[in-house]
Amino acid sequence: CTDLDVKPKSSATGDVIFNNSQAYLQFLARLYAGLAISGQQGPAGNPDIKGIDEGFSNYLRQYWKAQELTTDEAVIGWNDGTLPTYHLHTWTAQNEFINAMFNRIYFQVSMTNEFLRETTDGKLDERDATDAIRADVKVYRAEARFLRALSYWHGLDMFGSIPLVTEESTVGTEASEQATKQEVFDFIESELKAIETELVDARANGYGRADKAAAWTLLAKLYLNAKVYTGQDKNTECIAYCQKVIDAGFELDSDYATLFTLDNVNSDEIIFTINFDGNYTQTYGGMTFLVHASIGGAMTATDYGVNTGWAGLRTTKNLVNLFPDETGATDSRAIFYRNDQSKEIPNTPITTFKEGYAVPKFRNINSDGESGSSLEFVDTDFPVFRLADVYLMYAEAVERGGTGGSEASSVSYINALRQRAYGNATGNIDADDITLNFIIDERARELYWEGHRRTDLVRFGLFTDSEDNNLRAIWPWKGEVAAGKETESFRDVFPLPSSQIIANPKLEQNDGY
Amino acid sequence: QSTRITGTVTSGDDGTALPGVSIVEKGTTNGTVTDAEGRYSLNVSENAILVFSFVGFQSQEISVAGKSVIDIPLNSDVTALTEVVVVGYGQQEKKDVTGVVAAVNEQSFNKGAIVSPDMLISGKIAGVQITSNSGEPGGQSSIRIRGGTSLNASNEPLYVIDGVPIDNSAFNPGGFSSGRNPLNFINPNDIETFTVLKDASAAAIYGSRAANGVIIITTKKGKSGLPTVSYDGWFSTGRIADRLDVFTADQFREVIAAKAPQHLNKLGTANTDWQDEIYQNATGQSHNITFSGGTEKTTYRASVSHQKQEGIIKTSSTERTSFSMGLTQKMLNDDLSVTANVKGARTQDRFSPGVVGAAMEMDPTQPIYDATSPWGGYFVWKNEAGDYERQATINPVSTLNLVEERGTSNRSIGNVQFDYKIRPIKGLSANVNLGYDLATGDRDRFQPSNYFAVASDTGEIKIENYTRVSQLLESYLNYKRSFENISSTLDFTAGYSWQDWNSEYPSLRATRLTDNGYGVSNPSVAKKVEAFNSVLENRLISFFGRLNYGYKDKYLLTASLRRDGSTRFGAANRWGTFHSAAFAWRVIDESFMEGLTDIFTDLKLKVGYGVNGNQEIGDYKYLATYTPSTLTAQYQLGNSFVTTVRPNGYDANLKWEETTSYNIGLEYGFLNGRLSGSLDFYRKDTKDLLFERAVPAGSNLTNIVLSNIGEIKNTGVELTIDAVAVSKPDLTWNISFNTSYNKNEIVALDGSDEPTFKGYETGDISGGVGNYIQILKVGQPAYSFYVYKQKYGADGKPLVNGVDHNEDGKTDLADMYEDVSGDGAVNDQDRRPFQQRAPKVMFGLTSQVNYKKFDLSFTLRSSLGNYVYNNVASNTANFIRANDNFVPRNMLTSVLETNFTSPQYFSDYYVEKASFLRMDNLSLGYTATNLFDTSAKFRLYGTVQNLFVITDYSGLDPEVFSGIDNNLYPRSRTFIVGVNVTF
Repeated sequence: CTDLDVKPKSSATGDVIFNNSQAYLQFLARLYAGLAISGQQGPAGNPDIKGIDEGFSNYLRQYWKAQELTTDEAVIGWNDGTLPTYHLHTWTAQNEFINAMFNRIYFQVSMTNEFLRETTDGKLDERDATDAIRADVKVYRAEARFLRALSYWHGLDMFGSIPLVTEESTVGTEASEQATKQEVFDFIESELKAIETELVDARANGYGRADKAAAWTLLAKLYLNAKVYTGQDKNTECIAYCQKVIDAGFELDSDYATLFTLDNVNSDEIIFTINFDGNYTQTYGGMTFLVHASIGGAMTATDYGVNTGWAGLRTTKNLVNLFPDETGATDSRAIFYRNDQSKEIPNTPITTFKEGYAVPKFRNINSDGESGSSLEFVDTDFPVFRLADVYLMYAEAVERGGTGGSEASSVSYINALRQRAYGNATGNIDADDITLNFIIDERARELYWEGHRRTDLVRFGLFTDSEDNNLRAIWPWKGEVAAGKETESFRDVFPLPSSQIIANPKLEQNDGY
Repeated sequence: QSTRITGTVTSGDDGTALPGVSIVEKGTTNGTVTDAEGRYSLNVSENAILVFSFVGFQSQEISVAGKSVIDIPLNSDVTALTEVVVVGYGQQEKKDVTGVVAAVNEQSFNKGAIVSPDMLISGKIAGVQITSNSGEPGGQSSIRIRGGTSLNASNEPLYVIDGVPIDNSAFNPGGFSSGRNPLNFINPNDIETFTVLKDASAAAIYGSRAANGVIIITTKKGKSGLPTVSYDGWFSTGRIADRLDVFTADQFREVIAAKAPQHLNKLGTANTDWQDEIYQNATGQSHNITFSGGTEKTTYRASVSHQKQEGIIKTSSTERTSFSMGLTQKMLNDDLSVTANVKGARTQDRFSPGVVGAAMEMDPTQPIYDATSPWGGYFVWKNEAGDYERQATINPVSTLNLVEERGTSNRSIGNVQFDYKIRPIKGLSANVNLGYDLATGDRDRFQPSNYFAVASDTGEIKIENYTRVSQLLESYLNYKRSFENISSTLDFTAGYSWQDWNSEYPSLRATRLTDNGYGVSNPSVAKKVEAFNSVLENRLISFFGRLNYGYKDKYLLTASLRRDGSTRFGAANRWGTFHSAAFAWRVIDESFMEGLTDIFTDLKLKVGYGVNGNQEIGDYKYLATYTPSTLTAQYQLGNSFVTTVRPNGYDANLKWEETTSYNIGLEYGFLNGRLSGSLDFYRKDTKDLLFERAVPAGSNLTNIVLSNIGEIKNTGVELTIDAVAVSKPDLTWNISFNTSYNKNEIVALDGSDEPTFKGYETGDISGGVGNYIQILKVGQPAYSFYVYKQKYGADGKPLVNGVDHNEDGKTDLADMYEDVSGDGAVNDQDRRPFQQRAPKVMFGLTSQVNYKKFDLSFTLRSSLGNYVYNNVASNTANFIRANDNFVPRNMLTSVLETNFTSPQYFSDYYVEKASFLRMDNLSLGYTATNLFDTSAKFRLYGTVQNLFVITDYSGLDPEVFSGIDNNLYPRSRTFIVGVNVTF
C-alpha cells in the first residue's frame, strides 16, 4: 500500500477551519491580538515571528522601543544584543530589534491579507455563509484594513520606502517591489478613506475595536506628517480629520494619571487601545514590559500592581526639565520616581537603574490602589490614540498654516489639557505662547512614553541634527557622549533590515546605511 | 577400527573454555560440537584428522595418531577475514563489503558505569563523534558521523535495532522529556555489536533517513549448548572532577567593599560554599542476570537487569529495570528460520532543577536557612523596599529541596522475522519482518507554593505525557548464488517497507496551588489549570533493492536503489529516489600479490558514491494549518475574550534534503595480520538544505519559513590501525588507533551573493536576551563564533572596558576592539567569524593487555581544533555582578585577570581553544576459570572513568558539543568495582 495522505489531528487545515462560523471573529481577534501578544500560547510559546526572543518580538514592545529609546524620553539599562545602540544612535541594518519591528509590521500585513483573501464574497458563497455572517464580515474586513493601514503607517514612518503587499498576493516566498513613500502614503490614505463609511460609528463599536474615529485619527496623523513622507504639507486635511474626531463626543478624563492605569477601560478620552489582561492576554511584551521594566531601585513593585521590577527604563533630564517642577506638584503630568535616583546619567554603559529618574506612568493598579488580576501580567490597556493627542495635532496643524481651524480653538484645547494638569488655570497659555517649540515641548509633557516621540522629533527636525542648533536635539548619550550631540540625518529613518535586503533583492537600502 | 577421542577446547587468548566449537573428522560428515565447558568426545577412525573450527578463530587440523585425549587452544582469527558484518537488510562477509562499515564488538566496548548505550563506542570509530551533552546520569548524547550535513533538520544518525528502525528524537517536542537519552531503554549488557554504516554506498539502502549515517545495533543471541547462567554486577562512586573558582565569603566581602559599597549593608555573616551544597558523591549499581542456551534447532537468551545511578548534583538519579528475550527456531528442514526479539525497559529519572549557575553566583555571605522565611525556611533575598525580590539569585538549596521533577519512561521494541528458503529456485529466500516500537511515559514537576521562584504564580504542577507507537512491516526477497562457470557471484535483494508513527503528547500545567500536600497527584487544588494536546502522525513507504556482484571474488560491485515516500512533504515532492554504487578490488587476491603474502595479508581498494536524504523536520510543515490560541492568548473584543486562530507560515514546495557522498579508501593487513586497518577519503555535498530562511516581508504568513535553500560540504580523511603488538601464550597486547579529519563548510545559503551580509546568527548565550555568539555564513564552517577582535595591553591582558584607550574623547567599542572592517568605526559590522565548535581532528586509542589471568585496558580520546565560548566567564567574570541592580552576585575569580566592570559578551577573548586529551576509562581485571572443577568462570574488575583531561581550556570541561559552555551539568570522575560470574 502506498497511502501517504496524513491529515493533521491537533491543528486544523484551511479547508475545515471556516466550518466554524466563529472562525471569522476569531481570525479578526487575531489581527488585533497581533499588536498585543507574541504567539498563540500566552505568555510565550508558539511564536508569531522567529529569530528573536519571543518576549522581545511583541509588536507594542518593539514599537515603543523604536519610538522612545531613540529619544530624550527614555533609556534602558539592559545589555540585550544591540538594544543599547537605539539610544546611542549607532544602530545598523543588522540590528535585530529593527528587524523584529519590520517583521512585526509585515506579520500584521500578511495576516490581514490572508483574512481578506479568506473573506471574499466568493469564499463566503463556497461556504454557504448566512446573511448574518456576511453582515458581520463586512465590518470585520473594514477593521482589518484599518489595522493593516496602521501597520503600514508605522512602516512608512520608520522605514520610508517599503514593499506594498496586499491581498492580491499569494502565500509563498515571492519578493515584492519596493514602493515609493508617496505610493505607501497614497495607499494608506485611500484605504482609510475607503473604509471610513464601512466602519462602525465613532464610539459605537465594541471595546477595543476600531471605529470611524480610529480611522480619522490615523488619517490626521498621516496628514500631519505628510511633509516628512512626501514633501507636501497636508495640514488642512489634518485639521479636518481632527475636527471630525473632536466632534465625535470624546471628552478629556478628569484625572491624567488614570489614563495609564486599570481605570482607563472607562475612559471617554481614549480613541483606540491595545488590550491586555493578566489572565487572558498574557505576554512578556506590551504593558507587562512597560510596567515591570519601569520599576527598580528602591521602588516597591507592589505599589504599581506587579510582583517585581525589571530595572530597565528611566528617562533623561531633558524630559524632567520640561516641567516647572519635577515633583509633579505644579504639573501633575510629571510622574517621576526620584527617591535614591539621580537625574543625571553619568556612567556608561547606562545599566545602573539609579541613574536617571524612573517613570512609573503605566501601572497595574486602579485609582483605589487595587492591583490587576495578576501580579505578573498586566491588565492595563495601552492608549494608542487619545483625544489629547488630537487636540495637540489640531493646534500644530493650525500653527503650521493649515486652514479650516482657528487659533482660538487651539488655545482652548491646549488649556483644557493644562487645566487638567495644573488643577487650575495657572498654567494656561494664550495664542502668543503657541509656537512650534512650545508644541513639541507640550507634546512631550502630555504624551511622553506613549510611543509618539520619535515621529514627533523627526517632524520637528530635532531627532538627529537640527537646522538651528536647537538644544532639543541634544540629550544625554545621544551620539555616544555623556552630554549628547547631534547625529547624522540619515538616521531619521531606520535602515531596512539586512535580512530583508538578502531575502528580497528588489529592495534598495535607505541612504546612509 | 574406531577410537574414542576426548578433550577440551579453550581460547588461545585467555584460556577460557570455548563452547560450540565444531569438530569434524576430515572428509566425512562425522562430527560434534563442544559443550558449555568446551568438552567434547567423538568416535573416529584411527588415522583420522580432526578439524576444529569456530567463528572468529583460526581453524586447526590435528592428526589423531594414537592419541585418546586432544586438548587444544584455538587462536583467535586476528585477520578476521571471515568476519560477518551486518548491513541493512542482511549481512555480508567483511571481505566482500564495498562500502565503509565499521563494527565494534562487545570485547572492545568502553568499560565503566555506562547508562547510555552510545557511550559504549565513544572514541572507538574513526570519524564518529559521540559527545555526552552533560554529566547527567544517562544524559542525551550528540552523535555526528563524518560531520553535520544539515542546519535545521536533524544531524543524528538513524538507529536500527535488530532490524527495527527506531525514532531517536527526544521524547517530547515541548522539550520536557520524560527521560534523558532515548536509547537508554536498551541495557548496554545486551548489546553484541554496533555497526556504523558511514558512507553513502553502505547506508543508501536506508535512503531518505541515511544522510547522517546509520547505526545498527545487534543484541546478543543464544548459542546452542547447555544452558548457561551469568551474573554481571558493579558498584560505582562518582565525584565532581573540578569546580568553578569563585570568591569565598571573606574575599567577597572585600570585593563588595571595593567595588560596590552600596551593597555592603546587604551582606550577611555566614560563610556558605554554595557549590558544596549542591554536589554529592554519586553512587551507582547495576545487576544483570542472563540465561541462554539452545539446541541445533532452537536457541534462546533472556536477561533481566536493574541499574541505578545517582548524579553528582543532589537529587538527580536514573534507575532502569529492563528485560530482553530472544528466540530463534529453525523449522521445515531448516528452510524456515523464525527469530523473535522483545525488549522492554522502565526508566525512572529524577531531574535536578538547574542550580549550577545559582550556586556559582549566590552571595557566599548569606546563610542557607532563615528561620523567619516563609519560603520553606530558606534564605530568600529582599530588596530595598523590604519585599522578597524575584530578580535576585534564587537560593539553589531551596530549589533542590523543594522542586521535584521526575520522569518515567516505558519502552518496548520487538520484532518477529521469518526467513524462508524457497527451494524450487536455488539461492532464493524470502524474509518478512514485523516490528513495533512502543513508548509511553510522563514527566512531572512539582513546585510547592512555598518555593520562591521568579514567577509569582506560586506553586506549579506540570505533567507531560506521551504515547508513541511505531509499526513496521518489511519484506524482501534475496537471491544469492555463485555461478562458477562464469566465476561470478550474485547477491540480489529487493523489498518493500512500511513504517508508521503515531504519537500523542497531552500535557497539563496547574498553577497557584492552594495546597501543597498532594504533590502532583491532585492538580484540582490549583486555581488555574491549562491543558494541551498535540497529536502527530507520519508514515514512510519504501521500495528498495540492492545488487552485489562479484567476479572471481576479486572485483566486487554493489548498487542500491531506494524509493521513499514520506508524509512530511506535499504531493508533488513526496517521493524521492536514492541510489548508490560502489566498486571494490581485492588486490590481495590477484596473482601478482602471491609473492608478497609475507608482507600483505589483506589489501582492498574501494570507491563508492551515493545519494541519501534527510527528512527529520517534524510533521505537517508543508501544509497550510491554523493554530488556535490558548486561553491565555485571547483578545478582548467588546465585553468578551475571544480565542484567536492564526494561519501558520509554510512552504508548500518543501522537499527532501539530499546528500551526495563520495568515498575512496583501502583496507589493509600486514605482517600476518598483526597490523590491519583502513584508510578512507570522503566528501559529502548536501544540497536543498532544509533551512529556516527569512522570506521577503509580506510574502508568507511569518518571517522565517523552513525551505530548501543552501548547500553544505564536508570533506575528510579517516585512518584506522589495529595492531597486535604482542601475541604470546601468556601475554597479548592489542592496540586500536583511529583518527579522522573533517572540514565543514557552508557553500551556499540564502543571501550568499551579498558581500555585506553577515550571515545568520545562532547560538544564544546566557546574559542579556537575544545575544547570539555563533554564525552561519557562506565560506565558513557551520557554527563559527562571531566576535570582535579583542585588543590587548602591554601586559598581555585584554584592554579593560570603560577607559578611553584610543583617546578620542569617547569610551566605546573602538577602545577595546579592532576595526576589522577598516571603515574607521567599530560597530556590529566589525564582528567576524572566528574558529569553530566542531573538532577538526579526532583521535581514539584503545589498548588491551592480557597477562595470564589479568587484563588491563584503557581508552584515550582526543579532539583538536575545537573551540568553546566560555559563557560562564563572559557572563560572570566582571564586576557588574557585584554592582547588580538588585543584589550582589558572586563572580569567577578570573575577573581579577580582566578587571572588566561590565560583560564583554562578544569579545574573542572568551572563545577558547578547547582541544583535549581525555582518558575515558582505565580498567584492570582478574579472571579465574574452572572454579571448583566446573566450567564456572569468575572475573573481578575495577574501572576508573574520566580519569583525566588534559586541556588549555579554562572552564570546567572542554567537551561542549554546542560550543557554548553555560553551566553544564559537570561530568564526574567515577570509580567502579564489578564482578562477572558465569555458570
